[in-house]
Amino acid sequence: MPTSFPDVGSIEGPLLEVEDLRTQFRTPRGLVRAVDGVSLSLPRGRTLGVVGESGSGKTVLTRSIMGLLPGSNVQRSGTVRFVGHDLTTMSPTELRDVWGMQIAMIFQDPMTALNPVVRVGRQITESLRLRAGFDRRGAQETAVALMRSVGISSPERRLRAYPHELSGGMRQRVMIAIALACGPKLLLADEPTTGLDVTVQAQILDLLAEQQRERHMGMILVTHDLGVVANRTDEIVVMYAGRVVERAPTAELFAHTRMPYTEALLRSIPRLSEPSHSRLRAIPGRPPDLAANLTGCRFAPRCPYVQDRCRQEEPPLRTAGQGHEFRCWYPVGSAEGDSALARNVAARVPAALAFTGTPVRDTAPAVSPTTAGTTAQGAQGS
Amino acid sequence: MARYIGIRLGQLVFISFLISLTAFLLVHLLPGDPTTTILGPYDTPSARAELLKQLGLNKPLYHQYWTWIVNVLHGQLGEAFTTKQTVSNILAVALPIDIELMIVSSIIALVVAIPLALVSALRPNRLFDRSSTTSTLGMLALPPFVAGPLLVLIFAVSLHWVPATGFDRLSAGIGPNLKSVILPSIVLSFGSIAVYFRLLRADLISTLQEDFVTMARSKGLSTPYILFRHVLRPSSFSLLAAAGLSIGSLFSGAFVVEVLFQMPGVGYQLVNHIYARDYLVVQGLALVAAVAFVVINFVADFLLTVLDPRVRRA
Amino acid sequence: MPDPAHDLPVLAPNIGYPGSAADLAEATAGITAAGPTRARRPLGPVFWVSAGWVLFMILLAVLAPVLPLTNPSTQNYSAVNAGPSIHHLMGTDDLGRDLLSRVIFGSRPSLVIGFFPVVIGLLLGGFAGLLAGYRGGVADGVLNAVSFVILAFPALLAIMVVEQFWQPVALSKLTIMFAVVATPLLFRIIRATTLSFANREFVVAARALGARTNRILLRELLPNVVPAAMAFALIAVATAIVTEGALAFLGLSIRLPNPSLGNIINEGVNNNLLQSNPYIAVWPSLYIFVILTALNLMADRLRSAFEIRDVKL
Repeated sequence: MPTSFPDVGSIEGPLLEVEDLRTQFRTPRGLVRAVDGVSLSLPRGRTLGVVGESGSGKTVLTRSIMGLLPGSNVQRSGTVRFVGHDLTTMSPTELRDVWGMQIAMIFQDPMTALNPVVRVGRQITESLRLRAGFDRRGAQETAVALMRSVGISSPERRLRAYPHELSGGMRQRVMIAIALACGPKLLLADEPTTGLDVTVQAQILDLLAEQQRERHMGMILVTHDLGVVANRTDEIVVMYAGRVVERAPTAELFAHTRMPYTEALLRSIPRLSEPSHSRLRAIPGRPPDLAANLTGCRFAPRCPYVQDRCRQEEPPLRTAGQGHEFRCWYPVGSAEGDSALARNVAARVPAALAFTGTPVRDTAPAVSPTTAGTTAQGAQGS
Repeated sequence: MARYIGIRLGQLVFISFLISLTAFLLVHLLPGDPTTTILGPYDTPSARAELLKQLGLNKPLYHQYWTWIVNVLHGQLGEAFTTKQTVSNILAVALPIDIELMIVSSIIALVVAIPLALVSALRPNRLFDRSSTTSTLGMLALPPFVAGPLLVLIFAVSLHWVPATGFDRLSAGIGPNLKSVILPSIVLSFGSIAVYFRLLRADLISTLQEDFVTMARSKGLSTPYILFRHVLRPSSFSLLAAAGLSIGSLFSGAFVVEVLFQMPGVGYQLVNHIYARDYLVVQGLALVAAVAFVVINFVADFLLTVLDPRVRRA
Repeated sequence: MPDPAHDLPVLAPNIGYPGSAADLAEATAGITAAGPTRARRPLGPVFWVSAGWVLFMILLAVLAPVLPLTNPSTQNYSAVNAGPSIHHLMGTDDLGRDLLSRVIFGSRPSLVIGFFPVVIGLLLGGFAGLLAGYRGGVADGVLNAVSFVILAFPALLAIMVVEQFWQPVALSKLTIMFAVVATPLLFRIIRATTLSFANREFVVAARALGARTNRILLRELLPNVVPAAMAFALIAVATAIVTEGALAFLGLSIRLPNPSLGNIINEGVNNNLLQSNPYIAVWPSLYIFVILTALNLMADRLRSAFEIRDVKL
């Protein structure tokens, strides 16, 4: 019995509510906790940005929200409520009804996400015919209209093309057309612009924004690139090692960053205003191994503000007013944070030195074990 | 596309030439000659010399080869010493049997292997998959000369469901025809089933891990649809290559089956004429069999380019 | 049709057993490596039990003359077509010969022709394939072309023809014929396997570090190629045993009354013996079934032990 969903216009309450979502993979190395207790909420018609580096769990997050995980060796817990219906308790058939029609996903790499031996036109029309009940003619016309609306020129001709015959940007537009075909209420865009030329990136993002406005969709934009979400999201969630480490409305996040990781991400964006040959401010070190038992704050080994407490106790999500949450004992811009940073620079903690740009001298004494990060990888970014 | 076909045809011709050379040399370079067989009790040195001259066997090798090839290209493959039947005639009678065997055994192999592979690939390493893999592995250990006698023992000798030997032509009715063909076809299909199953299963499993399958699922498409319209085609390349090899090999390798079941196909004729050391017929039949193999693989290759648009550019 | 352009070493001739060639293709399909294949899953009891069985059968065949077996040619007319008993564990055939000893003595030619040509093929062809796959160059092209030519012609057919026209039949001649086919086959397989590894990053890295060719061959390529080579070799042995069996069945291998598994089966099928004494055909069939299963299981285990899967997160 298919669940019925109200029209986009008449939705009250949040479009999507995720509570304590956890996804774990059983691997030969152990239990990998890719998503470790993520909660978020998305009202209708708004855009949420999810930012994190590779391995932060952001892709697994989108798949977990949709329920599109591989069958074996995966455990998922928590609730995902879409327009009030809990997706985690639905049967596979009910879930299939939701996919495509209510929630759609845009994948990262259109070259692998499109079937290379099926014509592009059919990859659009099959949703229309099998899910939205169009007949062959209607599906073709709708597909052409869709392609035109996403900015593909000569759509009638392109219908018969194979994916490898199109450029990267055009393939991504096709993906967007496929995702929008059945008029979903929620769009999960997983790194939609990675791998595209910069100019094309802007076009694609503009396109997504425009479609979202016209269709009143909710959108989750997943990326590792803060620049992408800067002007195009209403709220941003920053993920690290499977957890949410900061969440705020976009403007607030950029203006009053609290979590050192977010600050480091912001600083790592190269700016045209800087002189050429400036050193890139990469974040030293690597994300932690998600299969290991992690104690304390997960960012501690790479954090310029790290103190003993950080290594022993993981900070909980605390509010800073106006829907701003963060997870840090010594947040950026606070008195404790500033003094922590100063202490670390004096103690020659490598992450702090890299952060402030202080050169590391070869004759410097070895850092004492009580204040140094245990896995400092040196001043170079990894 | 036309250029590609042209190149492949050129390769085909070249290989056929090589094959004809091989077929010729194999027979002619070996010690001993067919005169002893033909002459039988009338074997005297002078009779031998006379026969050699008559058969043109005293001419230099390249001359003999050239004569033979020219004849072949004119459609004259030679004739048997003893029966004086032309090779073309032998072929005309024997070929339909092989074709029927090929069709029936291929159908059996595909009808068994494809569903098994589909279900196994959807739930790998579960019970169904493990038992399918094991039983098809068992089929690999049952070559025709083992499986044949065993199946004959069970179905023909004990149960009397089908005749043990002989081939009933279609003209005698479809029932007897199928009955005479079913057992040899099953025996022939064993090896193919094993290979088709394992190839298809492996390809299906790897295709099912591709991103476009996840994407298709995210569109809410049903599993059967995804399997048949998205997954099967890209996964069938190895299968097609293997099918080409299997079918092609039938024309030059079903000896055991044809001899065991007394089906007078090309293999049967070849074997008998080898026994009789009738070199001309052996040459001719071997040439036809080997060229058939190569042609079938060429066709399989061609179909591969049709199925996979990415290869078409080559 | 053998296609030098394809990386697949699917150039095995039809050796009279439909699917045997493609089986080798399939063996390739299974082996992939994302890097040095030192880490692997254990081979498992299935592998070792099968290996034990094969060794046991080889031992039986090798030691046959010194084992307390009845002479396989002795015809005992008082015990014709007898079923299994204490005296004749497998029974006797229509001439009163003990089936157990016939089967064991009959396994000798089968195993010799199964293993020796493959060993020769590995040593000659496999080695050449390793070098050719890595080095390339003119020699590679020449060897490639030569093996292409040899493999273009159906092997079983060629062997049958040569065998019949090259009297008298001898085990050595048969071994040579099989080796002539096995060598280019293994050459192409090993060459393709080497090629698939030679361009991987860890080899390029070794080259960039200045390692000399020999070192690269020994340290980087060989450990990866060897498991693949072993798996293919086992399948090649199985194929050779089948081919010899088919030949023997057709009377074109070791001639009666000297036993070879295939010709015993042939005897068991003629003269209505399937009806009166099915044991003659059944015991050698069972032997072949067991050894082929063991070899295939071993090859299968090798393949899955050295296969590396990517875990997608």
